[in-house]
Amino acid sequence: MEPAEVEFLAEKELVTIVPNFSLDRIHLIGGDLGPFNPGLPVEVPVWLAINLKQRQKCRLIPPDWMDVGKLEEIRDQERKEDTFTPMPSPYYMELTKLLLNYASDNIPRADEIRTLVKDTWDTRMAKLRLSADSFVRQQEAHAKLDNLTLLEINTAGSFLTQALDHMYKLRTNLQPGESSHSQDF
Amino acid sequence: SFLQGSKLEIPLWLAKGLHDSKRRIISVELPKIYREAWRTVFSADANVVDLHKMGPYYYGFGSQLLNFENPENPEIAQTDCLCSLQTFVARFRRIMDSSQNAYNEDTSALVARLDELERALFQVGQKGLNDFQCWEKGQASQITASSLVQNYGKRKLTEVDG
Repeated sequence: MEPAEVEFLAEKELVTIVPNFSLDRIHLIGGDLGPFNPGLPVEVPVWLAINLKQRQKCRLIPPDWMDVGKLEEIRDQERKEDTFTPMPSPYYMELTKLLLNYASDNIPRADEIRTLVKDTWDTRMAKLRLSADSFVRQQEAHAKLDNLTLLEINTAGSFLTQALDHMYKLRTNLQPGESSHSQDF
Repeated sequence: SFLQGSKLEIPLWLAKGLHDSKRRIISVELPKIYREAWRTVFSADANVVDLHKMGPYYYGFGSQLLNFENPENPEIAQTDCLCSLQTFVARFRRIMDSSQNAYNEDTSALVARLDELERALFQVGQKGLNDFQCWEKGQASQITASSLVQNYGKRKLTEVDG
């Protein structure tokens, strides 16, 4: 997948906005949205929130987890534990990027938040590589990693699957009586 | 015409064609790097070996050499395979880390000692990283000229005519 595709999926997540316009309920294929009343918070998918924000028709309310204190806790826990911390959103990275790009004026301490999220991402990716290396060294058949997000899997995934493919081919060469006349390499 | 018992260097594809375990027209000598002495080097530290100089298709070629198993010594094939696999496993970490961390740098030093298979893997890792970085900067949604198109301008008139 391209990161843009993962972002597309992330944009379905709901976020709270405060509109400055009125509109009755709208009925979309994916479901109903609204009604919208000036000053009254309402939940909408991120794709709509960003569109409205760009047209200056609302302000965005950052999700609960997009807060310096909370993110520091998460970052610290990530650094401490060997396993992956459950993230407050399966699309934490994508949402951070989207909301900070389009609505940083609605998010207090936006720069610190960006740094904290990036730090957490870097720690998780390093953990993923460590895990992959240990998996490869011990030539395990099966591994289970909980709490990874789609973007993380997507970024490291193609490398890992291709490497494992090669290992598989090298390993099947070890089978006796295998007539490996393939030119796959 | 060739004398029986003479030693020749021929391409792999020809050797494969001539090889027949029943008729034994040819017997293949295992190249140095797949033999005992080198195996000790690999097991000491697989990361320092310049597989590109050795190969550049160390893994692929090694796999193909299995076609010429000497029936008198089947263990050689097994130990060779194991050595290749272990070499790959030992070098995996460095390839993964460098390909997923080197952004916008000259990577020639990093890939210099990798064989072709490892280089292809390195490129995959780089793509993952570059795609992510590009997305994070918001460049994923910008329309840019394809690099193919950008190169058109470099063609000279004489090339087009000829």
